Amino acid sequence: MPTDGIVPASDPKSVTHATRLELFRLVLLQRLVEERVLALYRQGRIAGSVYDGRGQEAVAAGAGLALGPDDVVAPLNRELACHFARGVEVAHVFRNFLGRATGPTFGRDGNMHFGVPERGVFPLVSMLGNLCPVVTGAALAFKRRGEPRVAMTFLGEGAFSVGDTHEGLNLAAVWHVPAVFVIQHNQWSYSTPVAKQTANPNFAERIRGGWSIPAERVDGSDALAVYETVQAAVERARAGEGPQAVEALSLRLHGHAAHDDARYADAAVRDEYERTRDPIERLAARLLLDGLSETTLDAFRSEVADEVGRGLAEAEAAPAPDPATLLDGVYANPVE
Amino acid sequence: MSSTGHLEALGGAAGESPAGSVTYLDAVRAALRDALRSDERVFLLGEDIGAFGGAFGVTAGLLDEFGEERVLDTPISEEGFVGAAIGAAWMGERPVVEIQFADFLSCPFDQIVTVAAKTHWRSGIALPLTIRAPTGGGVRGGPFHASSPEGFFVGVAGLKVVCPGSVEDAYGLLRTAVEDDDPVLYLEHKALYRRLRAELPPETHRTPIGKARIAKPGTDATVVTYGSGVPLALDVADRVAADVEVLDLRTVWPLDAAAILESVGRTSRMLVLQEASRSSGAAGQVLSLIAREGFESLDAPPALHAAPDTPVPFAPELEDAYLPSLESTTAALEQLLAY
Repeated sequence: MPTDGIVPASDPKSVTHATRLELFRLVLLQRLVEERVLALYRQGRIAGSVYDGRGQEAVAAGAGLALGPDDVVAPLNRELACHFARGVEVAHVFRNFLGRATGPTFGRDGNMHFGVPERGVFPLVSMLGNLCPVVTGAALAFKRRGEPRVAMTFLGEGAFSVGDTHEGLNLAAVWHVPAVFVIQHNQWSYSTPVAKQTANPNFAERIRGGWSIPAERVDGSDALAVYETVQAAVERARAGEGPQAVEALSLRLHGHAAHDDARYADAAVRDEYERTRDPIERLAARLLLDGLSETTLDAFRSEVADEVGRGLAEAEAAPAPDPATLLDGVYANPVE
Repeated sequence: MSSTGHLEALGGAAGESPAGSVTYLDAVRAALRDALRSDERVFLLGEDIGAFGGAFGVTAGLLDEFGEERVLDTPISEEGFVGAAIGAAWMGERPVVEIQFADFLSCPFDQIVTVAAKTHWRSGIALPLTIRAPTGGGVRGGPFHASSPEGFFVGVAGLKVVCPGSVEDAYGLLRTAVEDDDPVLYLEHKALYRRLRAELPPETHRTPIGKARIAKPGTDATVVTYGSGVPLALDVADRVAADVEVLDLRTVWPLDAAAILESVGRTSRMLVLQEASRSSGAAGQVLSLIAREGFESLDAPPALHAAPDTPVPFAPELEDAYLPSLESTTAALEQLLAY
């Protein structure tokens, strides 16, 4: 059932059928979890604010799956599928959105602001660019110890207006460390279009020219292309070729956060992207061309939907944080 | 601070120093050296710390002993290399960052306060990271090389802030900071580098974080101070006709409230002495504590002697007037005692 107008994802021969199916599971998980999160938010069952990555799932899934088991990553707001690629459970994500005591931040932070240390995932901070030098430092640790590991982070194109990004890229290049930077070029920084952010929106060109870091551009709505390109970058970094970057071009299909209806953006452009380049449907179309039957694909979609439902139920049953724990956890070694 | 008496007595010109003694700066360097020797996870990074040995010479010789892998020169990029130290600490390393002048802590403020301070609380990831920075005036550094910015960090949950005021603590606090699993700001005072001199403590010496020390016991009043205020307070205590206690906070965040309350509870009078501007530094927290929990033990209003609320001036006439001096501090203490 390929939607009319959908451009099937590319067909890189190196990407196996099993990997294609796993990528499909990841992009679909992000889409379905985020749809559920938005519904819960509108029902008042999730407090605060929520951010989603509709239209950008392929970048999160492709880059996340390109990492090896011992690698580390600092995903941002639009990269839920990257958490799933690292093996983070659906219930754990919902526990964070619901502010549960057993969630990854113990109820201390919400929405996508969480890390999962046992999965090598550093917690997002809201200040753009901050995590660029942080993953550079993690990669420095790998280089110092001679470990064949890679550290990755994502950067929105908006983060290229921030000093941290420049400092982190510069240090990564000077130190020649195994860091991979994935640029989520989704055209918007909150309500500010890229044309008002920078005079040169070709971030791959800037990264190559400005920091002498190899950087490629890839279609960010094509999970297979993202996976293939980022995996090659990850393996170059692992092989000692220094930092690498990939600029993934996509479009943010929702507002900055759930409260933002993005009325400032051209709806026709958005509709056209959704009609032809929706990352989930592009990959579904490729799987059908690969010979997967519609019945199998539909069954797969149902399985993922069930996984989301089970995860939410498990999270809703988790305990709320006890106010008596308010002072806990500030220090690893509390002063006596 | 511009006090010289006690400082001269402790150090003075190198030729007059007692055999076996080291400077405060030597103690910082010895702590770095011993930490590097004892734990391969420890490495240093900062501007000009390698071949040049650091702007004040603190890391001199360490590149030769430990090599470029462990004494890492950085570009001028404080936000970047503090962030990188956080990332390395996440991976279990124990980086020690040198910020060339504490004034420059405004540059990596975001990494320190946003990332370093909050990460353990919101994820359980410990960040064993030490950030060293020379604070303070008395060297004609002017508004960008002589500040005492500890007040920006006092009250930041998740950070620990230490300010050694003696040779022993310059060594002991740094060893403890490097072994601590939390981010620690270690603020060494540049005017004490070559003025304070004492015997180097043994390699096993550690100064606990969060514990003040009675630098001089007394019964008539307590001077609560830290950093450069410690030798100054000891000098002033020698000059007044009263038995004055000097409480060296050593850690300015989190404060050792029990030690402050205990001392002031005995002496009934408190002067807070700090080099930082009066509305900054650690003084506000100490005064607040005494107002809330020590009020009934007081025989006089708690006093504050500190630099005024201006940037640090350059000209000797202005900087000398800005810094708490032997004379001005003595006057402040005598006024408290006379109340």
